[in-house]
Amino acid sequence: MSPPTAPIAPELHDEPAPVVSVAEERISVATQWQLMWWRFKKHRLAMASTAVVLFFYLIVIFADFLAYSNPLASEAQRSLLPPQRIHWFDDGRFAPYVFGLTGVRDPMTFKRVYTPDPSKKISVRFFVRGFEYQFLWVIPMNLHLVGVEGTTPEESLFLIGTDEQGRDLWSRLMYGTRTSLSIGLVGVAMSLILGVLLGGISGLYGGVLDTVIQRVIEILRSIPTIPLWMGLAAALPNDWSVTQIYFAITIIISLIGWTELARVVRGRFLSLRQEDFVMAAELAGCGQMRIIFTHLVPSFLSHIIAATTLAIPAMIISETSLSFLGLGLRPPAISWGVLLQQAQNIQALAISPWLLIPSIPVTIVILAFNFMGDGLRDAADPYGH
Amino acid sequence: MAKQRISRREFLRDASVATSALALASIAPHSVRAGEKIGAQLIGKLEGPELVLDPAKWPKKFGEAPMLAAFVKDGKLPPVDKRVPEEPMVVKPLQSIGKYGGTWRRAFTGPADAENGNRIVSTDKILFWDYTATKVMPCVAKDWKISDDGKVVIIFLRKGMKWSDGHPFTADDFVFWHDDVYLNKDIQPAPHPDFMVNGKSGRLYKRDDYTVVFEFAEANYLFVDILAGSTSIGGGQATQQFGGRTMGAYMPAHYIKQFLPKYGGGKDEMDRKAKAAGFDGWLSYLKNRWDWRLNTELPVLAPWKTVTPINNATWVLERNPYYYGVDTQGNQLPYIDRISMGLAENLEVVNLRAIAGQFDLQERHTALSKLPVFLENRTKGNYDIHLDPSLNGSDATLQINHAYEADPEIAKWLHTRDFRRALSLGIDRDQLNETFWLGVGTPGSVAPAETVPYSPGPEWRKKWSVHDPKQANEFLDKLGLTKKDGEGYRLRTDGKGRIRLELQTVAGSFISHTQICEMIKQQWKQIGIDADVKEVERNLSYARINNNEHHITVWANDGTEVLYLFPRHALPVDPVEALMGYPIARWFASNGQQGMEPKDPQLKKAMEMFRSAPGKKAPERIKIAQEIWKIIVDEQFSIGTVGLSPAVMGVRVASRKLGNIPAREINAQHARTPCSSHPTTFYFKS
Amino acid sequence: MLAYLVRRLILAVLTVWAVSVLSFTVIQLPPGDYITSYIAQMSASGSFVSEQEANALRHQYGLDQPQYIRYIRWMGMVLHGNYGMALEYGRPVGEVIGDRLWLTMVVSVAAIIFTWFVALPIGIYSAVRQYSLGDYVATFVGFIGLAIPSFMLALILMYLGFTFFDLNIGGLFSDELAEAPWSLAKIWDLTKHLPLPALILGFAGTAQLVRIMRANLLDELSKPYVVTGRARGLAESRLILKYPVRVALNPFASTIGYLLPYVVSGSIIVSLVLSLPTVGPLLLKALVAQDMFLAGTIVLMLGTMTVIGTFISDLLLMWIDPRIRFEGRK
Repeated sequence: MSPPTAPIAPELHDEPAPVVSVAEERISVATQWQLMWWRFKKHRLAMASTAVVLFFYLIVIFADFLAYSNPLASEAQRSLLPPQRIHWFDDGRFAPYVFGLTGVRDPMTFKRVYTPDPSKKISVRFFVRGFEYQFLWVIPMNLHLVGVEGTTPEESLFLIGTDEQGRDLWSRLMYGTRTSLSIGLVGVAMSLILGVLLGGISGLYGGVLDTVIQRVIEILRSIPTIPLWMGLAAALPNDWSVTQIYFAITIIISLIGWTELARVVRGRFLSLRQEDFVMAAELAGCGQMRIIFTHLVPSFLSHIIAATTLAIPAMIISETSLSFLGLGLRPPAISWGVLLQQAQNIQALAISPWLLIPSIPVTIVILAFNFMGDGLRDAADPYGH
Repeated sequence: MAKQRISRREFLRDASVATSALALASIAPHSVRAGEKIGAQLIGKLEGPELVLDPAKWPKKFGEAPMLAAFVKDGKLPPVDKRVPEEPMVVKPLQSIGKYGGTWRRAFTGPADAENGNRIVSTDKILFWDYTATKVMPCVAKDWKISDDGKVVIIFLRKGMKWSDGHPFTADDFVFWHDDVYLNKDIQPAPHPDFMVNGKSGRLYKRDDYTVVFEFAEANYLFVDILAGSTSIGGGQATQQFGGRTMGAYMPAHYIKQFLPKYGGGKDEMDRKAKAAGFDGWLSYLKNRWDWRLNTELPVLAPWKTVTPINNATWVLERNPYYYGVDTQGNQLPYIDRISMGLAENLEVVNLRAIAGQFDLQERHTALSKLPVFLENRTKGNYDIHLDPSLNGSDATLQINHAYEADPEIAKWLHTRDFRRALSLGIDRDQLNETFWLGVGTPGSVAPAETVPYSPGPEWRKKWSVHDPKQANEFLDKLGLTKKDGEGYRLRTDGKGRIRLELQTVAGSFISHTQICEMIKQQWKQIGIDADVKEVERNLSYARINNNEHHITVWANDGTEVLYLFPRHALPVDPVEALMGYPIARWFASNGQQGMEPKDPQLKKAMEMFRSAPGKKAPERIKIAQEIWKIIVDEQFSIGTVGLSPAVMGVRVASRKLGNIPAREINAQHARTPCSSHPTTFYFKS
Repeated sequence: MLAYLVRRLILAVLTVWAVSVLSFTVIQLPPGDYITSYIAQMSASGSFVSEQEANALRHQYGLDQPQYIRYIRWMGMVLHGNYGMALEYGRPVGEVIGDRLWLTMVVSVAAIIFTWFVALPIGIYSAVRQYSLGDYVATFVGFIGLAIPSFMLALILMYLGFTFFDLNIGGLFSDELAEAPWSLAKIWDLTKHLPLPALILGFAGTAQLVRIMRANLLDELSKPYVVTGRARGLAESRLILKYPVRVALNPFASTIGYLLPYVVSGSIIVSLVLSLPTVGPLLLKALVAQDMFLAGTIVLMLGTMTVIGTFISDLLLMWIDPRIRFEGRK
């Protein structure tokens, strides 16, 4: 569901600013990247958003370190446990602890009821050994940011509660973040390759090739994306492993996402082709490849980056939508889509609303990417407003 | 089938629950007794209306709904005593004689949800069961007889019975179906197994206007059960003649004839008519015309007939003025005028509307997992909640593919008894029950409820079906699977890594099989067995089963409680849905001509016993069924988890405005839940 | 000018054709066919379909033919206004889709109108007060709909509506009017049910329009005529609303074509959650049941409408902006 772009993007302004003062002197000798950075800094929301995005990608890298419980460890006796209260101070000094919990199903309401046991104080500690994982997918490790003393976190620590199968939601959220954000990144990378390649060809050579590519884009955009996804996702060979499905889903999402980028690239190529410096380079006898890579690409790279940033949130939303339709990643895989799909029922809303918590990071990340992308786009236009 | 005796313990429990159920109906919140199983207060006493079989006690005068009385007055309908047969079906309502009128509001989910309506109007079956679903009862046929050699079954129709358009219903309607539809190769390309014994087709003919004979070449003592069950031959007009189905044993000849080439002027003429009506050929048109959900003109025997077809935003049924059932005072049934089913595109909307009290009675699509929300809104929505435990052993059954070959090592283990036992012992069923059945189900094997005559006995519910990882590990070690990898998973003997079993689940199944398997995967860690849970679309699961590609497929085994009528989830005998091995099922269905002979001698033995059963009289047949169940459980041909629960159907949400609603009804496919409670006797109290 | 129009029209027709091929192919990508899903459905209700019966059904529905033959047959039918039978419904496809297509449009248009109502003021405000706190807040509000997955938002709002305001639970009509012929009462009933889906769907598209409006207006605001106007002492509100906003609005109108497929796609998911009688749920079910005639027709119809939308917005653009007309001739 890639959002439509403005058919009329804010165009470059041709009139150069009259340059006199010292400050403006500084501007006139600055590289394009410096200019961009200065402009970007002015957009405070974009700056803040960038920090948020970086923060989330830290989670992607350190997901297993930040998770304290095995995200797959299930236990009926802690099914649908609400977020736990953490006591930060013990006797006035900072020593976080939680109480042990015992749960039963209320025979009248059929809800699971958990009562803290004040006699069972469980200390929460930082940098504790827990379940085994491979740090950065290679180094075997068992160190976690938080953990508990005297028992296992699977049995005692539930920062934002548990799901139906008694799995710790916080830890699942960490892993889900890793999956979904990397789908966004990988998907966008693929879209980017397709988009730059086809958009570039289209803009550079024009003619029949351009027409054909433009038609293909138009066709792809004319089909409502959902059926296209559904057809493709349903056609995935079922003997594929979760990882293969994961990559296939990314490819499917990016197959539709590239059209947007291709349009941007083509538009840039078309307008830059007319620029004087390109003409100058041509007159100076530069080869076409040299013109493309040393002159053209750098001058629209910033736009590409902005467009790419704006494409990532669409990918993330696509992943959750596909999971909702039952066509994306399916359990036991963990992704934002999978987590949200589990909350997509009335009993979650009525009796276990904490299952909705994963929608908060989804919202934050998508907003952050959008604001960051807007900031980048504004900044990428060095002579803009 | 012998009448089922309720054990003393069962009776006492039922009685005690009945008192609390009574209290529950009037005052909420109700109390929970100490030591009682969770949910017991919502499981009432099994009860239902009974048929009055003694003609001497039948009413002589008849009453009718005001709605119809108005038509009679206008001369649009003959008076009620001309519409009701001389030999009606007399139903003694559960609590009291009802009042006429009202619209019963329900939800359905689209044309694929035909069973929603079919199950309400199933009293168009030839024979049926009583409310305990254990004793065969008259229905459309007032009586039946089976010859001593078991080769001839005779049914006797009700004198003066009429179709919903007033045309007499006679043996000719059976003969028409048999001669002109069933034997017509264009319509029914091959004979149906339900109408065969040992691969030989049966025969149907009329003795007189009210006597129909079914004749077989060999003894078929089972056939009475087949006529009573939810089978292709005995399933009734509504259920067996929709969406392209051609079975059901009778048909309104006077109406359908005009759409058959034989009577309607040849195929070309019929094709022309079909095209004019917007169909691609005579066959599509014909099948549309006899589909009770689509054709509002179709004469039916059911208590309600379609007035707004199922492919609309509401599916509306209205009373059949010629329905053949009356209450003990002679009032023509049904009491309720109309059934209006609103289309809901998704189950959350169905459930939310049910919670809001927008349905009068809904027992379908109402998920057990939402029970807390249903209970919370009981007063606001003015409804009661009933849980109706089913009779089948396991709502999530691990069906092992006994024909699997693709991976010889995996095949070898799947076909090893102790390996299967170990898998079963490695499952912690209490955990599953608590998580997915809210503790309401009963953990155990695939064997049916003790109350079912075929039950091999309570000990077989537990056999090899408790959590014992220690014994499981011993079994696996003894099989030589001692090598493990770093994470503790057992390795294959051919050095190709871990033993990975694939658990295939089907997307959109009513019971959350995928999540259940996720949990089993965790539990199997303890016995060092790795599982891959794979959820696939339903079509794909069928394709994989028929290509013999799956290791284990998880599905409910509801229906297996009547082993002979619906065996496909207990034994690989039916190629239509052969989770336990498609080639084996083909071998069985083709009498060994095609497919693959089962290699496991015990499996073959069980299948042979199954084949011999139709030719045996009831007591012996029951014994055989018990023996078959013992073999299945002992060999763990399929692994049971949690069953005897209300989950396979749904939570029953019944408006407090309705009368004659049983505290508990049978939840079983052959009883056509809720039809064995005779919805015709439900009524609006005010 | 005329040549451009004709060329555009031919391309539009070609696009529709390509959409039809693509949709027909994509729908049949998954393994199995309608009969497999039919057997699955029958089995679930405990019935038996023999292999011979299955083959007879396949023959009856033409499923035993190769795909291109099926496509040609289907196209031949479509060109005669016959979309085939909806297999599961036992009714002609056109009849099954019936009102649903128009209701999809009604919901989509309502959503687009809602989008405009929210996006316009936000866009204007955030352009005029660029980088102010108000800009950030307004933009945040405009973007929130994009960020919350619509299926989640729909379920939450439906649930809250039921719990606290006793609102209708899903649907576009009350049960008693669902089957009634069109009347004033029915239209009024529809109007009462529309706000929730329009809000959810509309909110999802707001961000994009805010962005366009803001960028276009910023473009205009830096132009000399605005400066001149300001120098002349024109009231600021009048200055902005009278000229630049109007200019900025022009391309706005032309976004309909691009907005349409987006909203329609979104409406599939929202309709599913809210149980709206639009083509969305129908399409999803048809795809799962592999009812190629029904699914193919819906995708084709939606695709065609998008192409028409794009075509109209191209015309609008051409009419507004002479430069495009010029490029068209080139």
